[in-house]
Amino acid sequence: MRVILATSIMPFVEGGSTQIVGWLHRQLQAYGHEVEYFQFPISESYSEMLEQLLAMRLLDLSQHGERLIAVRTPSHLLKHPSKVVWFIHHYRSAYDLWGTKYQTLPGTAEGLAYRTAIVNSDNVALRESIRLFSNSAVVRDRLRAFNGVSAEVLYPPLLDPGRFSCGSYGDYLLYFARLTHHKRQWLAIEALRHTRTPVKLVIAGSPDPGVEPYVFDLERLVEKYDLKDRVSILPRWIPEDEKLGLFAECLAVAYFPFDEDSYGYPSLEAHAARKPVLTTSDAGGTNELVIDGENGRVTPADPELIAHAMDGLYDDRKLARRMGEAGEARVQKLGINWDNVMSRLLA
Amino acid sequence: MRIAVLNNAVPFVRGGAEHLADALTAKLREYGHSAILVRIPFCWEPPTKILEHMLACRLLRLPEVERAVAFKFPAYFVPHANKLVWLLHQFRQAYDFWGTSFQGLPDTQEGRDVRECIIRADNVYLAEAKTIFTNSEVTARRLKTFNGLDSELLYPPLLEKGHFSCVDYGDYVFAPGRINDVKRQRLLVESMAFCRSPVRLVLAGRTETKVDADRIQAIIHAQGLEERIEFVDRFITEEEKAAWFSRALACAYIPYDEDSYGYVTLESYLSRKPVITCDDSGGIHELVKDGGTGRIVPAEPRAIAAAMDELYHDKPLARRMGEAGHSLAQSLNINWDRVIEALTR
Repeated sequence: MRVILATSIMPFVEGGSTQIVGWLHRQLQAYGHEVEYFQFPISESYSEMLEQLLAMRLLDLSQHGERLIAVRTPSHLLKHPSKVVWFIHHYRSAYDLWGTKYQTLPGTAEGLAYRTAIVNSDNVALRESIRLFSNSAVVRDRLRAFNGVSAEVLYPPLLDPGRFSCGSYGDYLLYFARLTHHKRQWLAIEALRHTRTPVKLVIAGSPDPGVEPYVFDLERLVEKYDLKDRVSILPRWIPEDEKLGLFAECLAVAYFPFDEDSYGYPSLEAHAARKPVLTTSDAGGTNELVIDGENGRVTPADPELIAHAMDGLYDDRKLARRMGEAGEARVQKLGINWDNVMSRLLA
Repeated sequence: MRIAVLNNAVPFVRGGAEHLADALTAKLREYGHSAILVRIPFCWEPPTKILEHMLACRLLRLPEVERAVAFKFPAYFVPHANKLVWLLHQFRQAYDFWGTSFQGLPDTQEGRDVRECIIRADNVYLAEAKTIFTNSEVTARRLKTFNGLDSELLYPPLLEKGHFSCVDYGDYVFAPGRINDVKRQRLLVESMAFCRSPVRLVLAGRTETKVDADRIQAIIHAQGLEERIEFVDRFITEEEKAAWFSRALACAYIPYDEDSYGYVTLESYLSRKPVITCDDSGGIHELVKDGGTGRIVPAEPRAIAAAMDELYHDKPLARRMGEAGHSLAQSLNINWDRVIEALTR
């Protein structure tokens, strides 16, 4: 099939959304489709938003391709007779962040007018699609609440889960994520000081631009609790082989972000390596994947309770193995694989 | 530097401009810059769509970008304070094609209005660029004549050239590239009926429309040329192209009034093969010297056939011209060092 794949980007920034679309692009080609891939730079500044929305409406792709797949907002405003939208997030300032301290639109009559225009244009564009998917239940619920449209949840898989393997259930927990405050690596350190077992912790990942103070805080915390022998911090980009090794030998994967929309690739990577996921009940999308006691542990974001779960896995490696293996089954049960993504997006 | 390369995109169509955009983006990264390629959909049917796309380009933004390098209409309308234009061609239907059979735009009030808008917008928005580079003297001259704008010549290099070589001077003329009306492969196929020698033609590239493919097939069948023309109607890889070049007798490249010298010409010379082209082929003449590195003949089947026959019967001549082409290509100093320096200075 001739497929047009469209998304928006913040130029020169790689993130979860660029991965979803980049991997989809590669898989569409691997499945034998001919793909045209458009990545539109979009300024997130609210005052430039409306002209960019109009630009999306004016660019005409309707004469080409048997399918348009639009992913990141506002690419879904493109017109096409066979448009499918895989919606991954709103322009959140106009939606769930409106009225919170994270709102970037001004709370004035002008700001409200921008908000209304953005919501209205989404309402039109989303209803034009022949099928609407979201990447998580959180986003599906927001689409229902704010735009009055129903979306089907279609979870994004890893590019190639087969690369991950399980070596052993070792003596360390792996926290593999960008180093940034809302990922809450500090909560893992706080928990470690309450464990009774000698379980270790490896924190690995690229620091977000400008978060040097955060990395410094993590290091200070380790020093303060005298955990230097048990905590390693690798604040850098981790090459693929090193990453696969870290996943292969860990006891379990820890992932405690605050209220994320989607489950986060570290959870999927954990299960691809047949490792359980330790997360918190306020982590957001991760709770769609992890069921407490089945494929990991879900505890309140409380250091002592997390520590208890850590010890439980350390004491009972068979339990860790059982949950890790159940994770693989859980991923398949949720249809998190490319066969499913292809058949849903191209149906 | 953080650089955005801007180009048009007609979905599922790839040609020289797409190739150059990919190459430039890759080379900028190789030279240590952060580069992204921004491809902007373009569509010209019906003609009023052209105006919508011009407007869309004015409405797009390039956050975080320190420099923009734009190739084509209307991608070069995207606003940026530090924009360079490397003009491959303007919207020719409004300029030099107007009044020819390639005009495209209808000669109605609406068509004339659209043309007027294109010219006016070019006058205003092209002038925003800090520097306009052009890919050939032809493009530069048109820009000066129609819009009164000055430019600097910057020849586009090939991405990689190491894979072109000469193995032999075989029995076929090679014609690679996108196949459409303006590239005039049909004329080449018609010429084959007039050849007296058993010279063959290898025509390789993707047809732009089914009509292009059908017309060529029809001529082949009508003239009974099945044995002498190999029509490879698909995208060919760089490796395939280099292999065909390496054993070709010569290359034929006869577009109508092309803006640039054409990659095909350069590739042919790097493979030490002469180039047969036509006296109305435009920028190709910047590189082809008639009788020296190839043949420039009237755009007429008998003349093209005679040029092919001549080379078929005199392979030492084909070799001499091919060698001369190779020396010429080396002497032009068309390389990435120069391009990157010009675009990042």
